[in-house]
Amino acid sequence: MKCDAKLINKVCDYLGGDLNSEPCQIIKEHMKKCHNCEIFIDKIKKTVEIYQKADGCDCAPENITRNLFLKLDLCEPKNSEHSK
Amino acid sequence: MGDHAALSQLVSLYTNRIYRLALRLTGSEQDAEDVLQETFLIMIKKIKQFQMKSSFYTWLYRIAVNVGLRRLKTKPFKFQHVSIDDPDIERVSSMEAQEWPAIDYDHISRKKFRKKLDSAIEQLPEIYRTVFILRDLHELSTEDTAKILNITPSNAKIRLMRARNFLKDHLEDLVKAEAII
Repeated sequence: MKCDAKLINKVCDYLGGDLNSEPCQIIKEHMKKCHNCEIFIDKIKKTVEIYQKADGCDCAPENITRNLFLKLDLCEPKNSEHSK
Repeated sequence: MGDHAALSQLVSLYTNRIYRLALRLTGSEQDAEDVLQETFLIMIKKIKQFQMKSSFYTWLYRIAVNVGLRRLKTKPFKFQHVSIDDPDIERVSSMEAQEWPAIDYDHISRKKFRKKLDSAIEQLPEIYRTVFILRDLHELSTEDTAKILNITPSNAKIRLMRARNFLKDHLEDLVKAEAII
């Protein structure tokens, strides 16, 4: 099946947007018929997952956090809950 | 005293997020630390000017991205930036048919592999890298990403698609070379 370039460029809507939106529905329908696009989208999804996983491993090291609070002349809160 | 405690909480809440943003943007721990410090110094200086027109984190991210991009301008590029295009439709139609196996998450934390992931991100020109970091790594909305970068939402979507496609192609090569996922 021949894929449509415009459709492929709407993958971002599909992956990051409202799954009930019109572009998502069109892509879902297309994927049912087009195995190549299904694989393409799966690879994009896996790429994002891998990068998210890798990025999540990086917290500010303790010395960098300590230096920051010193620089700002603030006291680091006890039991500070750093964001993700 | 109360102001200091509240500021400390605020800084503490966003330290990791801004550090990770700065690290991905600059590709250097030293630069990331400098960006982190400068971002919060500016935040403290300007916090009284913050108006509730945007959310606080959007405002803070905007400061951090601007500080990070300014810093990058003073540095020679570590990598020659690559040409970034839309997905090649012929390739999708013909050569993409080889599926990737399930992800081995343990492999992602290995230093050697992380270096390869980081080097691919660093090869992206800033206009694509910033969108990918904000949208996919920090999971901001397209609208917030566009506001932070002062671009239109459709421009943000185009840049994100190209960035994702470039990184996917890069991973594709790694998959072939190392059978890592």
